[in-house]
Amino acid sequence: MKDLLTKNLMTKFSSAMLLLAVCTLVFVSPALALPTPTDEIKPKLNAIISILLDPAMKGEEKKIERRARIMAYVNAGFDFREMSQRVIGKEWRELTPEKQDHFQKLFTKLLENAYIGKFESYSGQEIQFLGERIKDDRAIVTTQIENNGQFIPIDYVMIKKDVKWMVYDINIEGVSLVRNYMEQFKAILRRDKFDGLVKLLEDKNSTFE
Amino acid sequence: MNFRKIFFHGLVLALVATFPASPANAEVEKDVGVEGVDSFFEQEEVFDPLESMNRVFFVVNDKLYFWVLKPVSKVYGAVLPQDVRLGLGNFFVNVAAPVRVVNNLLQGKVGDAGTDLQRFLINSTLGFAGFGDPAKESFGIQAKPEDLGQTLGVWGVGEGAYLFLPLLGPLTVRDAFGFVGDRALHPATYILTEFPEEAAYSGTDKVNRISLHPGLYEEMKRNSLDPYISIRQAFLEYRRNKVLDRDVRNNTFREEQ
Repeated sequence: MKDLLTKNLMTKFSSAMLLLAVCTLVFVSPALALPTPTDEIKPKLNAIISILLDPAMKGEEKKIERRARIMAYVNAGFDFREMSQRVIGKEWRELTPEKQDHFQKLFTKLLENAYIGKFESYSGQEIQFLGERIKDDRAIVTTQIENNGQFIPIDYVMIKKDVKWMVYDINIEGVSLVRNYMEQFKAILRRDKFDGLVKLLEDKNSTFE
Repeated sequence: MNFRKIFFHGLVLALVATFPASPANAEVEKDVGVEGVDSFFEQEEVFDPLESMNRVFFVVNDKLYFWVLKPVSKVYGAVLPQDVRLGLGNFFVNVAAPVRVVNNLLQGKVGDAGTDLQRFLINSTLGFAGFGDPAKESFGIQAKPEDLGQTLGVWGVGEGAYLFLPLLGPLTVRDAFGFVGDRALHPATYILTEFPEEAAYSGTDKVNRISLHPGLYEEMKRNSLDPYISIRQAFLEYRRNKVLDRDVRNNTFREEQ
């Protein structure tokens, strides 16, 4: 009798374990399949496109609202901290946190001025996602966009921060955006030091207003 | 023709001295990324010993752009409809086919040479002397652009110093040699033997291009703190990818398993 009870309990226990195992597989594994780099960037680019194509968002008087909404998606997908560190180089660690923050703000503004303005001439060309490559905590998502019968390759270089993939460089036709600024800033930092660079960035940003 | 000869003889003499120096030997501080090894920053350094001269020519070209090329291409673009300008652009590309065919052969790319020859034959006949591009539009055959600068690079010739020259813009010493060689392969050199004709031909090509991509230079200038360095960096990266035939889509990680 005692044996039977034990056996019964054991069966119940193993069934419960099995059920638990199945539940774990069913409910936990989707959570383990973290978003791929493409999963991260694609919805954000599509959201930006729909803002640009939205008739209610067109026109000069909507510019501030439109920019703000675009920048919300850009900020969610682009790591401006990482970009700022890279364009400054080794000197970054010697800067006070306040100076780092100030630089990041100025550099983000420059990129916004230079490139979000360019998005605004966008007229519905499809972004084709060609693939992605991952190596450790780095990834590249390759896309192309058609313009006047020519395909322009645009690649998003990404880094994994915690569980999230963030863009820290854009390569257009294989030419790196961040590296381009890095080379410009290198010479300026050598000549005018950090404060001189900040001054030049402030002046540059004011020319867009 | 004479002007060009004198110009290039001078150029070659002036630069031959800088030719053996390769960027690898240059004393430029090496940039390691913030976190040490960074696969995206493993690029060759820039070798620009003639920077002060280049910067002078950069200003010259800038003035030339704003005072001559921009106003001329603006009028040109307003007079000629875009279809005509695109057709003319096709024509200029088609005429240069011998340059691409020979350089593909010199690099051992026999298949690509055949492709460009095929394009030349199709476009010169069905494409109304090259104004149309039926090879691409109807047959899906894409051009395989190669030039002597790239061929020399494939052969292992170092790129030499970076140059920025009046009219020609950014190039390397290796490209300058390549440019002279490619002229010998270009039909216009033999048909337009007088200097004014040849200058008119090259000038029209240039104005036509600017009219098809208005504002490209200005945008680049507006977005950068040092346009000279911005253009130098973009040119060298683009050009090095071309020489290595690096597929920008598939070879970003070189040690990819």
